Amino acid sequence: MTEPLFASCIRGARAVLALARDSLSDAIARRGPEGSLAYPGTAYEIPVVFGLTDLEVTTLRGAEPALSLAEGMIRDRPTAENALDAGAATLLCADILEALGHAEGRTYPAPCVGFVPDSVLRKLGIFMVDGSVPGVAVVVGRASDPAVAASMVRDFQEVGLLVFLAGDVVGQVEASGIKMGEDFRTFPLGPLPAVVHAVNFAVRAGLTFGGLGRGQAEPMLSYLATRVKAFVCALGPLDDLSLAIAAGAMKAGFPVLSDQAVPAIPGALLSCPPGEEMVRAGIEARGIKAKIVKVPVPIAFGPSYEGERIRKADTYAEFGGGRTVAYELVTSAPLSEVRDREIRVVGPDIPDLEKGGALPLGLVVTVAGARMQKDFESVLERRIHRIVNFGEGTMHVAQRDTTWIRISDEAVARGFRLADLGTMIHAKMLSDFENIVDRVAVTIHTREEDVRAGLAGARTVYAERDARARTLTDDAVGEFYSCTLCQSFAPNHVCIVTPERLGLCGAINWLDGKAGYEITPTGPNQPVPKGDERDPVKGAWEGVNAFVREHSRNTVPGFNLYSIMEAPMTSCGCFECILALVPEANGFMVVNREYAGAETPCGMGFSTLAGSVGGGVQTPGFMGVGKQYLLSRKFLAAEGGLPRIVWMTKEMKEQLGPALAKRAGEIGMPDLLDKIADETIAVTPERLREYLEKAGHPALSMKPLV
Amino acid sequence: MTVANPQQTFPGRIMEVTLPAGEGGRSVSVGGQTALPLLPEGERPNAAAIGIEIRTGDEDLPPSLSHAFGGKGTDPAVLAGNLVEESGAQFLFLSLAGCHPDLGGHAVSRGAGIVRDVLQAVPCPAIVGGCGEEETDALLFPAVAEAAQRPVFLSYADEKNYRLVAGAALAYGHGVVAWSPIDINMAKQANLLLGDIGVPPHRVLIDPLTGGLGYGLEYTYSIVERIRLAGLSGDAALARPILCHLGDSWKAREALDSAEESWGDVIARGRRWEEATAWACLAAGADLLVCRHPDNVRTLRGMVGAPWR
Ligand code: SF4
Repeated sequence: MTEPLFASCIRGARAVLALARDSLSDAIARRGPEGSLAYPGTAYEIPVVFGLTDLEVTTLRGAEPALSLAEGMIRDRPTAENALDAGAATLLCADILEALGHAEGRTYPAPCVGFVPDSVLRKLGIFMVDGSVPGVAVVVGRASDPAVAASMVRDFQEVGLLVFLAGDVVGQVEASGIKMGEDFRTFPLGPLPAVVHAVNFAVRAGLTFGGLGRGQAEPMLSYLATRVKAFVCALGPLDDLSLAIAAGAMKAGFPVLSDQAVPAIPGALLSCPPGEEMVRAGIEARGIKAKIVKVPVPIAFGPSYEGERIRKADTYAEFGGGRTVAYELVTSAPLSEVRDREIRVVGPDIPDLEKGGALPLGLVVTVAGARMQKDFESVLERRIHRIVNFGEGTMHVAQRDTTWIRISDEAVARGFRLADLGTMIHAKMLSDFENIVDRVAVTIHTREEDVRAGLAGARTVYAERDARARTLTDDAVGEFYSCTLCQSFAPNHVCIVTPERLGLCGAINWLDGKAGYEITPTGPNQPVPKGDERDPVKGAWEGVNAFVREHSRNTVPGFNLYSIMEAPMTSCGCFECILALVPEANGFMVVNREYAGAETPCGMGFSTLAGSVGGGVQTPGFMGVGKQYLLSRKFLAAEGGLPRIVWMTKEMKEQLGPALAKRAGEIGMPDLLDKIADETIAVTPERLREYLEKAGHPALSMKPLV
Repeated sequence: MTVANPQQTFPGRIMEVTLPAGEGGRSVSVGGQTALPLLPEGERPNAAAIGIEIRTGDEDLPPSLSHAFGGKGTDPAVLAGNLVEESGAQFLFLSLAGCHPDLGGHAVSRGAGIVRDVLQAVPCPAIVGGCGEEETDALLFPAVAEAAQRPVFLSYADEKNYRLVAGAALAYGHGVVAWSPIDINMAKQANLLLGDIGVPPHRVLIDPLTGGLGYGLEYTYSIVERIRLAGLSGDAALARPILCHLGDSWKAREALDSAEESWGDVIARGRRWEEATAWACLAAGADLLVCRHPDNVRTLRGMVGAPWR
C-alpha cells in the first residue's frame, strides 16, 4: 500500500535533482564555475549541505559534488528507507536550488521572505532554547478552505509556535489578514520548494545552539528529531514534489500530517482533517507543551495566597467539608485517551448558587504522559491542595473524599467559575510535573448522583493505592531515594527515604522521591541502589553507605537505617519530632516540634534538643524523624521497635493515637499506648521510671541500651 | 620508620576557562589547578584574576567609591576605560543596573548600546550583568548578547532564567556565569542543566553568591571550599572556576555609614571592608574576584602572584 507513495517520493527527488542540475549549469554558463554560491546572511554556506555532509560549497563548481552525492542517495526500489534517503537528497538539492536563486538576487514577491538569515535565527533560537517558542509548525500546500488554513496559523501563533508557510497557503493566509513576519514568528517563505528554508533554519539551529559542526550528520538528525520540535501540515493533494519534500521532513524526524487519505506511517506520516484537529495532532505528535506564562483565571494566582483562609462569612460557595459529598481523584490514562486542556463542568455551577450555598463535588483530573507512572497518581493528587490554595479567594482543606473547598465572595464577584478551578489545576500540573505529565484534562461533577457514582469508583482507587502502599516495603524494592534538599543549611546531611521510612521532615515519602527524580533528574532526589545487604535488622546496605559517603562528601561513612544507637541517620533540622534516649527508662522519649514545654524526662524541650541533634551530624541515642516513621514496621528495628517508646507528648499521642494503637495491636501489645507516659504523667526520669514500673512497660525488661 | 606524606593529591582538575579579550586586550585564563589554594602541593597554572565592576544607573555611590571615582568620568565607557587602565583590572564586570525600573529604568536598547560602547572602549575581557529585575532581564540578555560584538560572559543564569541566558549565550557565542544561592547542590544542578542545553563546560563560571564580611561571608567561604573540594575530588560538574562578586560588601552598614565616628574614616573603611571580604574569598579558593574599588584591584593583583598562592 505504501509502495506507490515511496515510488512517488523517489520520482519527486529525481525531479528536484534535475531542476537543480539545470539551474546550476545555467548559472555556470552565465557566471563561470568559480562564481560564488551563497545565501546572504549566514555563516553556514548552504546549511543543509553544511550540516549533513562534509562538502564545502562556496562556488558554483563546489555544488557539483553535493548534487552527485544527492544523486547517489536516490535509489529506485520503492522501500521506506529509499524513500527517506530520497527525501534527504531532495533537501540537499532544494537548498542548492534556492541558494542559486538567492545568489543571483532572485527573490520572491512580498510577503515571501525566502531564506531566513542567521540574525533572525539567533534571536528566535534563544526563545526556542528558553521554551517560550515551544515548537515549529510548517504549513505547506493549498487549503481547500482558506479560512481553515488561517485559523490553523492563528492557533499556532497562540501557542507561541514558530510558523513557516510555503506554497499557495501563503496567499490564502495573507488574504485572511493574519499578521506575519518576525514579530509574529510567522514566516511566509515562498512557493513550495522554498519550504527548504524551514529545514535549513532548523539545521542552523543545530549548528548554533546544538554545538554541532560541519558534516555531523547523525548527531544533526538526532538534534532535529529530538530538540527541534517541528512538524509539517501538508494541505491539499500531494504530488511527487511535495511527497519528496515530505520524505525529507520525515528523514529529519518531523512528522508530516496530511489532510489527504495517505497511508499512515506511525510517527512519520498521518492523515488528519485540517483545522483544529490537525493543530492538536501536530502539537501532540511532538509533545509540544506551551509555556503557560500566566494562568488565565479571573483571580490572582500564586504562592503568596497559599496561607489565606476564607472565613464562613466571606464564603460564597462551598464544596464538601461535611456539608456535601465530595471527592478528588487523579488518575492516569494512555496519551491517546486524554485531550489536553479539556475542562468540563457537569452540573450546576457557582452562579446557580445563592451566597453561602453548597454543591457536591467530584473533581477528577486525568493525566497522561510518556513517563507518567501509576504510582505517581497519589503524588499528583496531593498537589491539588496547594494548587487550589494558590488562588486568591479559593481555599482547599484535606484530601481524597474528605476534601473541602471554599470560594470567596470576592472571587465569585470577579467572575470565578468552576471551570477556572480546572484551569488552575491544568496549568500547574503541567508546569510542576513538566517531565512526567504531557496532558491534563479536568472533569468537575456537581450533581449529587454523578458525584456519588464517581465516589464509589474513587474509593476503589484509594483502596487499591493503600493496598499497593502496604506491599511497598523496604525488602520489596531494589532502590531507595535520597533527598539532599536540606544540604543548603546542613551541608552533609542526606536523607535516605525508603518505603518504610519517610524523610525526617515528614513531607517526602518514597513515592515522592521517585516522582521527584522523574521530574527533575538532576534534582535533590536521586535513586540509591541498595547494593549488598550488610545487616537486615539494623538496616545497613553497601549501596546506601556508598551514596551517603559520596554525598556527605566523605564526612558520614554510612548509616544504619533502623538504628538510633549505632550509626544512626543524620538529622538536618526540619525533623517533625525528636527521639531521645532516656537511660533510666531503658527506652526513648519522643517530642514533637509543636511542643513548647521545656520539661521532658531527658531534661530538654524540643528546641534545646533540636540544637544538639541537628546540623547533619550523627548523634547516637538521638535522632530526628518524621512522625509517620513511628508507625513503621522498621521503626528502631535494631533496638526493638515501638516498645522502646516510654514517653511521648500528649499532642502526639492524640495525633497518632488510633494508628499507634493499631500498630501496637499488630505486635501483640494492644495496651502499649496506655503504658507510654506523657507530660501530664512524668517530666523527670525518676517519675517516669516509677510510672513505667507501675504500668509494666515492656522497655524495662528489654536488653539494656547502655 | 616511615612517615606518611601529608600532601594531599586529588584525582580531579578544575577546568580551565578563558575569558577572551577584544583587540589589543589580554585574555584571562583561570582554573586548571589540581590543589587547594595556599598550599605548596599540586599544580596551579593560573593565578586568581581580579576584575573591576562598573554599574550603570542612578545609584548613590558609597562614600569610599565616590571618592575613588571622582573625576574619572560618568559616562560608563569613559569611566570603565579609566578605571581599568589605572587599577590594572584583568577584566571588567559591567552591571546594567540602570535598566532596573528603580535605578533609572533605561530602555533595553540603551543598555545594549552601553555594552557596545564600553566593549569598544575597553579591550579587556568582560562579564555583563543584568539589572536583577526578572522581566527586564528577560529582554536585556538577548539584546546584550546580540549587541556584544565579541564574546563576553553573561551574568547570571539562575534556576529560573537559565534557559534564556543559555540560549542568548549560545546564539552569539558567549559564556555564562551560573549563579546559585550558597548551595552546592544547586551549583551543581545549574551546571548540569546548562550542559544539557548545550553550553560547553569551558564557557561556564560558578557564582556561589558572595556575602560581605559580617553578612554571610562565612557561608560563602564554606561553600566555595566545598565546591572546590568536590571538584578536585572528581565531581566534574563542580570542577569549574569560581567567581566571587564582592558587591555585597558594599551593602554593609560598616562600609557605608559615615555617622559612626568611632568606626573611623568611612572612605578608608569602605575600601577595607571589600578588601577583607576579598582575602577570605581568595583563601577559600575563588578564581575570579570582582571588586568595585580600584585600589583593591591593585592590592589584590599584587598579592595573587605571590609564591604561596
Ligand atoms: S528533611 Fe525532608 S526536605 Fe530535608 S533532606 Fe530530608 S526529606 Fe529532604
